[in-house]
Amino acid sequence: MHPLTKVASATAFALALGLGSAQAATEIEMFFPVPVEGKLAKEMQSLMERFNAAHPDIKAKAVYTGSYDETNLKTHAAIKAGRPPAAVIMSANFVLEYQIADEIQPLDPLIAADGKTSDAFMDQFWPALHGNARFAGKVWGVPFHNSTPLLYFNTDHFKEVGLDPKNPPKTWAEWSDAAKKLTKREGDKTTRWGLMLPSNYDYLGWVMTALDMSNGGQYYNSEYGGEVYYDQPSMRGALTFVDNLIHRDKVMPEGETDGKAVSTAFFAGQTSMVVLSTGSLSFIRENMKSGYGVAFVPSNIRNAVAIGGASLIMPKGLSDEQRKASWELIKWLTSPAVSGGWSRFTGYFAPNKAAYDLPEMKEFLAKNPDAQVAVDQLAYARSWFATYSTVAVRKALEDEVQAVLSGKKKPLEALKAAQAKAEEIMAPYVAATAMNLPK
Amino acid sequence: MAIATASDDVFVEEERPTARVLGRRHDRLALALIAPSLLFLVVFTYWPIAQVVLQALTIETFGSKTVEHGFGNFARLFADASFGRAVTNNLIYAAGTIVPSIGLALALAVGLRESTRFNALLRTVVFFPVLLPLVAAASLFLFVFLPGIGLLDHHLGRLGFHQTNWLGDPDVALWSLIGLTVWKNAAYYMLFFIAGLQAIPDDLYEAARLEGASATQRFARVTLPLLGPTLAFVLVVALVNVVTQVDHVVVLTKGGPSDSTNLVLYYIYQQAHENYDTGKAAAATVASLTALVALSVLSLRTLERAVHYEA
Amino acid sequence: MATAALSSRFDGLRFAGVAILSLVALAWSTPLLWMAIASFRPQSFGGLDMASLAPNFRPTLANYVEALDSADFAGLYLNTAIVCLGILAVQLVTITLAGYAFARLEFRGRTLFFYAFLLQLMLVPPILIVPNLVTITRLGLYDHLVAVMAPYFASAFGVFLMRQTFRTIPRDFEEAAAVEGAAWWQVVIHVLAPLARPGLVAFSIVSVVAHWNEFLWPLMVISSTENQTLTIGLASFTRGAESASQWGVIAAGTFLVAAPLLTAFALFQRQFVNSFLFSGVK
Repeated sequence: MHPLTKVASATAFALALGLGSAQAATEIEMFFPVPVEGKLAKEMQSLMERFNAAHPDIKAKAVYTGSYDETNLKTHAAIKAGRPPAAVIMSANFVLEYQIADEIQPLDPLIAADGKTSDAFMDQFWPALHGNARFAGKVWGVPFHNSTPLLYFNTDHFKEVGLDPKNPPKTWAEWSDAAKKLTKREGDKTTRWGLMLPSNYDYLGWVMTALDMSNGGQYYNSEYGGEVYYDQPSMRGALTFVDNLIHRDKVMPEGETDGKAVSTAFFAGQTSMVVLSTGSLSFIRENMKSGYGVAFVPSNIRNAVAIGGASLIMPKGLSDEQRKASWELIKWLTSPAVSGGWSRFTGYFAPNKAAYDLPEMKEFLAKNPDAQVAVDQLAYARSWFATYSTVAVRKALEDEVQAVLSGKKKPLEALKAAQAKAEEIMAPYVAATAMNLPK
Repeated sequence: MAIATASDDVFVEEERPTARVLGRRHDRLALALIAPSLLFLVVFTYWPIAQVVLQALTIETFGSKTVEHGFGNFARLFADASFGRAVTNNLIYAAGTIVPSIGLALALAVGLRESTRFNALLRTVVFFPVLLPLVAAASLFLFVFLPGIGLLDHHLGRLGFHQTNWLGDPDVALWSLIGLTVWKNAAYYMLFFIAGLQAIPDDLYEAARLEGASATQRFARVTLPLLGPTLAFVLVVALVNVVTQVDHVVVLTKGGPSDSTNLVLYYIYQQAHENYDTGKAAAATVASLTALVALSVLSLRTLERAVHYEA
Repeated sequence: MATAALSSRFDGLRFAGVAILSLVALAWSTPLLWMAIASFRPQSFGGLDMASLAPNFRPTLANYVEALDSADFAGLYLNTAIVCLGILAVQLVTITLAGYAFARLEFRGRTLFFYAFLLQLMLVPPILIVPNLVTITRLGLYDHLVAVMAPYFASAFGVFLMRQTFRTIPRDFEEAAAVEGAAWWQVVIHVLAPLARPGLVAFSIVSVVAHWNEFLWPLMVISSTENQTLTIGLASFTRGAESASQWGVIAAGTFLVAAPLLTAFALFQRQFVNSFLFSGVK
C-alpha cells in the first residue's frame, strides 16, 4: 500500500470511529478500459484512493477491463452473471445499445434528487457530448473523457517543400495540394507519403464520419438508431475524395492502414500528414523528434468532426446504496478538477467545461498550444455514430470503404452495398420501432 | 519387436498372456479414473454446450417476448455471406498452415533430436514464438508487418523488394497470417514430435543401419511408423487449432480488410459479442463443432488403422 | 556395402540438415533479436531504421524501468505462477488417470467417452465466456484465482496426449509388473508414468505456456488488482487503440512476461530431451 493511502485510510477509519458509524462502507466496482498507452491503470487506482479517502462511507474499486471492446464484453457478461458493476467507463457510442437492451438506468432521478434539472446537469458539459449521453428523453451517460480527430502535420516537411507550417491546409483543395507537394518519389517507389489515414475497423468509421461531416453530411440519424445514409452525396464525395488521393494522385498508400502503423509512419517521417485522435497528442508531444503541428480536420463544406471517447454509465440491478455510491463516484470523476487532471494526464479533453477555467488548466494550455487546438475544434464537434448493433452497422460501411481503399470497388457501388447491408442488419429493430404501426 | 500391421478396430487389443489382468473389461475402475476429468467437463464444457445447442435452436425476434424453436438460426447462418467468407478463409488458412507447420515441426524434431549445445540453443530459439504472450504479440507482429519501415519490409527493401502492405492488402493479408501461424506453430508441434521420438529405442535405428538402410529409409521405415500415435495426435490437434486457436490472427486484423481474414472463430465472436446475435453465434458454434468432431473421428480412425504400433 | 560411402552420404545429409536448420534459426531468431534490441533502444522515433538489427545507439534500461513501473510485477508473477502451477498440478493427475483408462482399459462406452472428451478441444472459447462466468459466479468464485483455473482442471488435450503416449509404450513392462502382482495404480505410478515422462513434460510446457499467456478469461473473472495475472498487467499499459505505439516499452514488457518461460524452457528442454536416455533405451 502506498504510504499516502495508509494515511488516508487511517484517517478515514478514525473519522468513521469518530462519527460512531458502525455501518460498513458501501462497496462498489467500476469497470474501466485503458484506451491509450501508459500508466493510466495506475493513475486510475490512485484516483480511486483519493475518492475513497474523501468518501469514508464508500469503498470504490476500479477494475481494469482491457480495451473498449473487452470492457463492453465483460460488462455484458457481468450483467448476465448477475454481478453488474456499479459504473462503467463505456465507449460513448455503445451507450445507445445498453439503453436499447434495457441494461442501464436513466440518471435523471439521481440528478433530480440532487435538486438539479437534467438540463442544468448536462449544461456542465460541452454541447458536442450531449448527443451520445442524453437521448430518448433521458440522461443515460455522463461524459468522462473525450476525443476528436485532428490533423497532425510534420512542420519540417512543410518547410522543406515551401508550405507554411503556420498556415496548415484548411480546405480539401489545400489539403490535397499540400499532400501532392509533400509526397516524395524515387522512380516508381514512394519514399514519403503526403497523407495517411487510419483505416482499421473502428478508426475507419470515425475518420469517414469526420470526412462526411466536413462535406456537409452526417451519415446516421443521431436521434434514431435505425437509420443510416451511407450512399448519399456527402458520403459519395467524401469517399471519392479519398479514392482520388490514393488511386489518382497517389499521395496516400493503397489498402488498409492500422492506426498504429499511421502513427509510427508519422514518427518515422514516412508520411507528412496524418489524421489521428486527440488521444495521441500527449504521446506525440513527448516523443516526436521533428517539428509537428496540429490543425482542424480540413473542410469542404463546413468544419465538423465527431467526438470519440467514453462516458460513465450505471447498469441496472444495483441496490439503492450502490446506486447512491456509484452516483457519488460518477459526479466526483466528472467534476472539473478531477476531469481536468485526467485530461492533462491522458491527452483526452475534459468534458466538463469548467475544467478549463481552473488555473492549472489555463497554465497547461498556455504551455501546450496544440492542446488548445483540440479544445477549439470542439465548437464544431457533433455526436458520435451510434445505432442499433453499432459495430455491425459500422462494419458494413468499413468493409466496403476498405474495398475502395484497396482498389477493388468504386465509391458509388461500395456505398450502395454498404447501405443495403446496414439496412439488413437494422431491419429487426426498424420492424419493432419505426415500422411498428397501429394495427 | 515388430512394426504394426493394420488392425480392424482401433480399440481391439490382441489377446495377451496377461489379458486376465489388463485385457478384461474394467467398467468401474475406468469410470473412476475418468470421473475427476468428467466432473470438470460436465460443469465447464457440457453445460455450456447444452446451452449453446439450446440457443442455436431458439429463435428470438427483437422487441418480441415470444420465442420460437426450430432451425431458423441455421438457415440465417448459411444464408449469411460473411459466414461463407469465414468458412472459405478458414479452409485456405487450414490448407496453408497445417501441412507446412507439421512438416517443419517433424523436420525440426528429427534434426534437433540429438542433444548437442547447438541443438539446445536452436530449440529454444525456435520455441520462442510459442512463448510470446498474445496481447503483446499483436502489437509486435503489427510492427513486423508494417509497410516500409517494419521488420519484414525494412530487410526485404534492402534486398530490392517493393514495399508491401502485408496486413492491409486484402489479397495478401490472409497469406501474411498463414506465414505468421506457421512461424508460431511449428515449434509447438515440434515439442510433441520430440517427445514421441524419445520413445523410439535407439537399437531400432542401429538395426536398420546395419541392414544398410539410408537415412531416408530409416525415417520412412522406423521413425514415421513408430511416431504414428504422435502424428495422429498432432494432426487432430492441428485440425482443431485452425478453428479454435486463432486469437493471434484475429487480434492483428480483426478479420479485415473487408473480411478477407475473417475466420470462423472471429465470426462467432462478432455474432456473440458485437452483434448480440446469440442465435447465430450458437448455430455457427454447433456447425463448427459438428464439422470438427466428424473430421477428427475420421482422421483418427484412418490414421490409427494405417499405423498402429503394438510392442 | 562400403561403410565409407555410407558415412560420406550421411555426412552430406547431415550438412544439408545443419544448413536448413541454421536458415530456420535465422528466420526464427530475427524477430526475437529485434525485440531484444528494441527493448534497449532509447525511446525515440527519429529514423526509418527502427527495424535495424544493428544496435546503433547507446542501450538504455529506460523501457524496462517504465514497464516495471507501470504495473506491480511481483504480484503479477506470483498470481500467474499460482494459476499455472495450480492448473498443472490438478491436470497431471486427471490426465494421467484418464489417459491410462483410455489407453489400457477395456470398458463399456470407451469410444463414446473418448470422443465426448475431445469435444472440449473443439469448443471455440468466445462461446464459453458467458456460461462459464455465470457458473463461476454461482459457485461464489468470482474474483478468486481458483476461478481462473477451474475450467482447465480437466484437459481433453492432455488426456488425448497421454492416451497416445501410453500407447507407444510397449506392454511388456506392465505385464512383467502385473505378473509380479502389482496393482494397476502401482503400474501407473512406477512403470507407465516414468516411461511417459517426455509426454508429461511436453504437456506441462504447453499447459504452463498457455495459461501463463492467457488473457481473456482472467480478464473476465478477475476484478481486483491484487488478483490480476501477467498478461492483464501487460495489456494495461501496452495496448492503446487511440494512441501511438511505444514499441520499446512493449518489447520490454513482453520480455518481462516471457522471460521466466524462456529461461525455464532453455533449462528444462535439455532434461526433456535427455529423458529418453533413461526411458527409451531398454
